[in-house]
Amino acid sequence: MAAILTDAQRHLLRMIFDRGAEGASLALSKWLGAEVHLTVSDLELVELDRAGELLGPPDALVAAGAMGLTGPLTGSILLVFEDRSGLALVDLLLHQPLGTTTAWGELEQSAARETTNIVGCAYVNALAAHLPGLGRGSELGELVPTPPAFLHEFAGSLLEFALMEQALELDQVLVIRSEFTGGQPGLNLNWTLLFIPSRAALETLRALLAPFESRGNP
Amino acid sequence: MPISSLCEQPESLEVVSVAIGHWAVATAPARIRTLLGSCVGVVLYDRVAHVGGLAHIVLPAARGAVDHPGKYADTAIPALITDLERRLGTKVRPRLIAKLAGGASMFQVNPQANSALHIGQRNQEAIEQLLAELRIPILARDLGGTAGRRLTLDTASGIVTIKVPGGADYEI
Repeated sequence: MAAILTDAQRHLLRMIFDRGAEGASLALSKWLGAEVHLTVSDLELVELDRAGELLGPPDALVAAGAMGLTGPLTGSILLVFEDRSGLALVDLLLHQPLGTTTAWGELEQSAARETTNIVGCAYVNALAAHLPGLGRGSELGELVPTPPAFLHEFAGSLLEFALMEQALELDQVLVIRSEFTGGQPGLNLNWTLLFIPSRAALETLRALLAPFESRGNP
Repeated sequence: MPISSLCEQPESLEVVSVAIGHWAVATAPARIRTLLGSCVGVVLYDRVAHVGGLAHIVLPAARGAVDHPGKYADTAIPALITDLERRLGTKVRPRLIAKLAGGASMFQVNPQANSALHIGQRNQEAIEQLLAELRIPILARDLGGTAGRRLTLDTASGIVTIKVPGGADYEI
């Protein structure tokens, strides 16, 4: 198995995801009615045996919206909420004081799914816009996200499920992580967005990024 | 450095955590713990010596790969038995019993990743076949489903406790 992306390819991919973060920040701020910024904090190769700690203690309970990707780049997008700060999302959406929502009911889960959809699609659009061959009508086909699912899981188990497809052949896994910051006082957004490409997607990314390595800008 | 030593803790610590693709051995009163999703946790326990081990298995077969023996059923289980025998200084295989947990399918967000979706079932089949060949009886199974599990082995009693998100602990 060839190495996962080269340093130059990872740098290029990070630039694309930075643009995705800009688009997601605008979309999410509009959706929440509050200023929120996403920044790509890591595009990292993680040893498989350390992957379970990517979200903190493996046995911590987290809530997550999970989307799959179909088309030329398969993989998963996970919007992971530390339990308490995830519930702040619902308070923001319902314009009620932070701390009002205390449990993940149907309404709260629906809010998490929709928020995942908005953020995930912003990243998907950035990939499609900046990686040639991924747009509408392209030879490779269109990049299409699946409807988001809601999960309430142990952090370690969630990561194991999401990374399993890469782990089938690799001993390191590639994870792209974005963090959230909010402009509202008292708003602690302990949310993490993970983009986890499949093995096939890594090969596709390698091929799509190769022509730009010498130019350094997709 | 042997892989197992990466996750094996000094016995003064009460809980030994096992990372994905690793194994560990501990003696009573220690406990061994891991978090499982699609992977299968294999507990081997010696009821006479109160020594147990846990392997966190990712895939059924190494197919010649030698770098990460704890990742594969056909290399992790023999390595775990070797470590148990090294710990006790005697052959323990005839005294061992096994308990299995994990192998869930959490979410089907990527319909094109069929191989990953069914890996839990393939792991289970490979592990059960291997344990049958080694004549190690499987006393309990808690496999499949759609939720992750936290598995804890109490080496003093051999009891394996499972916790699922939002649920109460139960023993197998």
